[in-house]
Amino acid sequence: MELFNSESKKIVSDPINVNNPISLQVLGICSALAVTIRLDQAIIMTLAVVFVLCSSNVILSLIRNYIPTRVRIVIMLSVIASLVSVVDELLKAYLYDMSKQLSVFVGLIITNCIIMGRAEAFALKHGPSKAFLDGLGNSMGYGLIIIIVSFFRELFGAGTITLPDGGAGYVLWRIPESWYAAGYENIGLLVLSPGAFIILGLVIWIQREFAGVEEDA
Amino acid sequence: MYSNNYTLFFVFIVTVVLGTMLSFTKDNVKDLQDQNLKADVQKTILRSLNFDESLLLTNESIEQTFKSSIDAKCVNVEGEIVECNIEEVDIEKNEDTLPIYIRMDNDEVQGIALPIAGKGLWSTIYGYIALNPDTDSVLGIQFYKHGETPGLGGEVEKKWFTDNFVNHPLNQPDGEIQYVPKRIRDKSGKIISIKVVKGGVDYSESNTSSIHQVDGISGATVTADGVTDFLLEDLLRYEKTLDKIRDYGTI
Repeated sequence: MELFNSESKKIVSDPINVNNPISLQVLGICSALAVTIRLDQAIIMTLAVVFVLCSSNVILSLIRNYIPTRVRIVIMLSVIASLVSVVDELLKAYLYDMSKQLSVFVGLIITNCIIMGRAEAFALKHGPSKAFLDGLGNSMGYGLIIIIVSFFRELFGAGTITLPDGGAGYVLWRIPESWYAAGYENIGLLVLSPGAFIILGLVIWIQREFAGVEEDA
Repeated sequence: MYSNNYTLFFVFIVTVVLGTMLSFTKDNVKDLQDQNLKADVQKTILRSLNFDESLLLTNESIEQTFKSSIDAKCVNVEGEIVECNIEEVDIEKNEDTLPIYIRMDNDEVQGIALPIAGKGLWSTIYGYIALNPDTDSVLGIQFYKHGETPGLGGEVEKKWFTDNFVNHPLNQPDGEIQYVPKRIRDKSGKIISIKVVKGGVDYSESNTSSIHQVDGISGATVTADGVTDFLLEDLLRYEKTLDKIRDYGTI
């Protein structure tokens, strides 16, 4: 079956690892910096991107043979923008606190280069099942990085680990008071955007080292 | 190459399908969204009045708490009670129907929450300020809706900024620091509101009005000036009402 052969596996696993959209292609950096202050925000953002990217890839792949070439960018944008609006409305209805915290960044998924990029580079050239796998791989690759970044930013910046729970977030673990009493301090810089740059830079470095990627000089 | 007619037809179909999908979604979730919005406003009021967070976890508990402990009514600028549908009063436009939310406990006023709203840099900022029964010291301030830049003007809704209004450090003779709320009235009892100052508040002895000042937000001077302006303007509309509550304990 097409879904489970080695080529399909490669479509999913490549963007998670050796061809990661954030750490290798350096796409979608804006939201990776903005929504990684807390782990629960990053998780919800990941789910939103998984939904949008998988659906947009499948829809665009299904109609790829009917899209007039001249208006393909407009069509791609409309499909993506509509899907993002749906996610935004659903968040406002079912996860109101989270939608307030994510504020404009849900809407900004529209401009996330990963989504347009995958539509143009993959979905318009492949069948729906492959397009779905490609969307899954790329959104998970994106999610993996922002979850790692947000984990470290929240842990060392705010001293907590928060999971999404439909309300203001469930605090899974908090650095005990005794640590603070012993002189431990949160790194305030990590809560600010420059902190995200530093963590993201470290993640990119480590990931490229493991993936064995070398940039042409 | 596709013909122009085909292209137009295709774009038209896509637009119709996507439009239908969007309106269908919106139609289905609108009620839930409205409930969330209403609960969010009530939560803001309750938070400003210093209710315990454990009462504010779900929409139901918020509504329950609001119903049981808040006396909501409208007044005019003369401090007289007027009839109104309080949920529909637009405080931005209405000059003479002013909503007021009083926290009652055993028939005694515990706190008074007043809506505040005005222009920041990009948007109108909405919130509530709550005063103690002396109608002078601040019980709490909360913002719930704005379109300011996240990280800059958007910081108005953050705890560190709103905590500014209730944490005024006072040096005690024994060297300890005691935290008291900021005050909106000067020594003669006139409402002068609270000013958001650029940089930070100067807490030296020479600055006698530091109790009427809070720290600003770096990178968001216009938003901060907006808050200063509409806070004064909105508090002045309630001047007679607040005087009445201070003098007689009721409206």
